[in-house]
Amino acid sequence: MTLKNNNKRFNKTKSKLPFKERFRKNAIVYIFLFPILIHFAIFQVFPFLFSFVLTFMDWRVIGNSEWVGLKHWVNFFNDKLAWKALWNTFMFSVYYIVPTMALGLILALIINSGVKFAGFFKGIFFLPVVTSFVIIAGLWGWLFRGTDNGMVNWVLNIFGVDSQLFLSDSGQALIVLAGLSIFKVAGSTMIYYFAGLQSIPNQLYEAARIDGASPLKIFWKVTFPLLKPIHFYVAIITTIGSFQIFDSAYLLTGGGPNYATTTIVFYLYQQGFSSLNLSYAAVLSYALFFVILVVSLIQRKYLGKESSFY
Amino acid sequence: MKKISFLTLLLVIGLVVAGCSNDTSGGAEGEVGGEITVWAHPFTGDAEKEEEMWDKISTSFQEEYDAEVNIEIIPWANRDQKILTALAANNGPDVFYAIPDQMPQYADVGMLLELDPYLEGYDMDDFVDSALVSTTWKDKLYGLPILQSVDTLFYNKSVIEAIGEDPENLPETWKEFEAWAVKAKEQGFYATSFQGGGSMNNTLYPYIWQAGGDIVSADNEVLINGEGGVEAFSFINKMYKNGWIPEDSVTAMEQNALWEDGQMLAILGSGNTLANLQNKGKIDFVIGPPLKNKKQAAYGTTGMFVVPSNTDNPATAAEFVKTLTNAENQRTFNKVTQYIPARESSKDIFDEQPFLSQLASYTQYTLPGVINPKGRDIMPMIQAQLQAMLEGDVTPQEAADAAAEAIEGAVSQ
Repeated sequence: MTLKNNNKRFNKTKSKLPFKERFRKNAIVYIFLFPILIHFAIFQVFPFLFSFVLTFMDWRVIGNSEWVGLKHWVNFFNDKLAWKALWNTFMFSVYYIVPTMALGLILALIINSGVKFAGFFKGIFFLPVVTSFVIIAGLWGWLFRGTDNGMVNWVLNIFGVDSQLFLSDSGQALIVLAGLSIFKVAGSTMIYYFAGLQSIPNQLYEAARIDGASPLKIFWKVTFPLLKPIHFYVAIITTIGSFQIFDSAYLLTGGGPNYATTTIVFYLYQQGFSSLNLSYAAVLSYALFFVILVVSLIQRKYLGKESSFY
Repeated sequence: MKKISFLTLLLVIGLVVAGCSNDTSGGAEGEVGGEITVWAHPFTGDAEKEEEMWDKISTSFQEEYDAEVNIEIIPWANRDQKILTALAANNGPDVFYAIPDQMPQYADVGMLLELDPYLEGYDMDDFVDSALVSTTWKDKLYGLPILQSVDTLFYNKSVIEAIGEDPENLPETWKEFEAWAVKAKEQGFYATSFQGGGSMNNTLYPYIWQAGGDIVSADNEVLINGEGGVEAFSFINKMYKNGWIPEDSVTAMEQNALWEDGQMLAILGSGNTLANLQNKGKIDFVIGPPLKNKKQAAYGTTGMFVVPSNTDNPATAAEFVKTLTNAENQRTFNKVTQYIPARESSKDIFDEQPFLSQLASYTQYTLPGVINPKGRDIMPMIQAQLQAMLEGDVTPQEAADAAAEAIEGAVSQ
């Protein structure tokens, strides 16, 4: 609270300075910022605003474009497939976010536990992050092939479990794709959590141990709550990542079976680049933008309130 | 996020320059001369050989005309995006390579130059009829074909022998193929491949054509749930339920491992399959004719060169396309790329190569997919219904009807 008041006072004092004075003081900052801001304005702000205008047009690559008012927005609200794609994306997030965070945390705890060859394990866990997604997806497709000679099915058969269809089953395909993303991304969440774990002061653990707390209790009462800023950050980036999921569906299922893995970005891509329905693709991109905005605001409200704990 | 940023950027660039584009459709315009840019793609893995090929073709053009030709080789990845971006920015090529489902989509919105006015006295009769189907939209010619391919069944000789059949007498009809499939299944083999996650051109469509049906006509008449369409859906369903095609056929993108492992009687393949088989030399194979139920038919693409309507030099671009696709240059091009020439007279390059010669003889049965501006839009809709059927959620009739309804919705927009 005190810090906030101080900041307010500081801002007030700052704004009282005449513009010339402020400019003179900060000139070097503006010089460095200028090219970046120009780039940002041209490649981010302008397309962002203009694509909104395009949602009200029937835009053609060559030829005359027409104003069509709210046609594409009305189509969006009546487009069952767009809503299914949003639902699939939401379900993908459910399958993906918490397991990615949990696995990243578990891996971080392993390498932070003082285990021998921690550096080696860190490298192994991080390997999927730096490997090309196309290669990882190819391996995943091979592991989860729906025939008896698929690797996972072969293992299941050894334990007497029937072969599964995996990517060819509407009920399993999205989960398998989420598994792929978890495998790919858990290494980077591990690094964030590892950094978080390193920053927790050792005396807190010592105090807990003196008080007779069990390792499990120490984890839930000390480690887990003190990682809150990391939880918040990882939750935000995995949520945004999950809403933008595209590659795995594109590479492994083509959005099928029967639209079971058609996510909103995959649908957007199909509309924009296969069907050349670029205005409708712009509507879908705005829908995605609003979803991510709302979810991020909710997360911020419930997870990101506190920034210091001790 | 990259893709969204790219999309928005593309939209903006396009809008800004759209107003500046000139409409040059209509009669033949201008003199041949000046400079043109041609966008082609790497057709083989041998860049050096291809460079020589393009030099030879360009020289044959420049011997006749005082014009400069810049050949630019664009990687295949995201080629549509690259072409669209360049054309939208009025900075695109004067000639580019196109495929059958791309042509009507571009032609319908006026993005391509009609070539008919430039073709007076040009030898068109030598082109394979099925190749010209792909380059024609609403009775107007928008491209000239350079290559063709044909999808047909490649049989594993060892499996044929294992099921007690004769490699010299391959199945020609669905009925004969069914008899072989039953035997293959009994011996623990899959009968053939079916990549339900890939293009319908290589899965459902050929069966529909073979059953005497079609998908949708150029004037938007929906035909997929006709007698032939339903029969094709039923046949595929039967193949899946009987285990003639692999369990992952619902969404599989490729099933090469099963074929290469000798677990499959036949795989649907084309010239690339032939090249792979010959390079690896692991599987002793024979090539079968496209199957027939009511009609013998197969999918085969046609590669063509087209001219965008906003080219600054339409006469030279059109003339170059004519030179590029003449009989001699078809030989030069297809000798290197190992595709099938789109001119009958140029097919003599395969006189010494029996397998390629056999494939070339099947181009008369090929169809290039759905020639309709909505051809690309409707494919995922049909695919979804086919997958629902294979999963057992709907009957073949219901799947065909639902696909028809989805197509109706798409073409009426």
